[in-house]
Amino acid sequence: MTNPVLEAIRTRRVARAMTNRPVDRPLLQEVLEAARWAPSAGNRRLHRFVAVQDPLTLRLLRMVAPGMFQRPAAVVVICIDRGRAAGFGIAPTSKGLYIDIGTAAQNMLLAAHSSGLGSGVVTSFSQAAVKEVLNLPEHLSPEMFVCLGYAAPVQPSAMRPRSRITWQSLTDWERFPG
Amino acid sequence: MMATAMVLTEDEALELLAFLVTAARTQLDEAAEYGPLRLLTGARRLAAFIAERVSPGTRALLMGPLSQIPDMAVRTADPAGYTAALDAACRAVAHHLVTHFGRDQGTL
Repeated sequence: MTNPVLEAIRTRRVARAMTNRPVDRPLLQEVLEAARWAPSAGNRRLHRFVAVQDPLTLRLLRMVAPGMFQRPAAVVVICIDRGRAAGFGIAPTSKGLYIDIGTAAQNMLLAAHSSGLGSGVVTSFSQAAVKEVLNLPEHLSPEMFVCLGYAAPVQPSAMRPRSRITWQSLTDWERFPG
Repeated sequence: MMATAMVLTEDEALELLAFLVTAARTQLDEAAEYGPLRLLTGARRLAAFIAERVSPGTRALLMGPLSQIPDMAVRTADPAGYTAALDAACRAVAHHLVTHFGRDQGTL
């Protein structure tokens, strides 16, 4: 019997080309709920998600995001609430703030994949420009886009030739020899 | 002969302008190998905008040599191959420039 969670983890791929089929709002809400269940340092939930489906806003986001190859039907912008983080005495560069972006993003990617959606993350964008496009309040800093849509049948080739990566090649046991 | 036909709309030009300016900023934080990648992405976006409005010769350049480098290619995967591919693209651009601007006609 296959484990559906592990199967989803193994079969998810980045979609860098998407069709123009829209994403239904309930599906997007399921993806957002998956982010809500992601682990968060101290369960503080110092992030805000801005969900975008308006075609013009999506177009403007892509204009200021050089790393955005796809034309997604929806984007979830993960923001750090800098005001709340400061209230907890958390340094702006605290690794927990960024790790929590990763856990939320991964939950969204897997939720999207399990629902038949393609997805991909983008961090190459001008934060200043995105704040302007989304009219974000000063205390929110946009850190990552989760792009969502239906994957196109033909995808750009991967960034690097596929070399065999295994968990063993990424792992060492116990401690390094002296 | 000078080609004076407009090949970009204001919206398209603005999109490219935004791409170039924001790419300059993001490059400060990104891996250095993304520099050529972003420039080529900008070139591809320009090519996509203008392809239907340019001369057949320029269109052949856009659809041929300039489309040979994969969208996501970066230097570290194959440094020699990447350099060679960029050199080939540059040669093709220069060859087209010589033809397009009539430098191949006669001598100085």
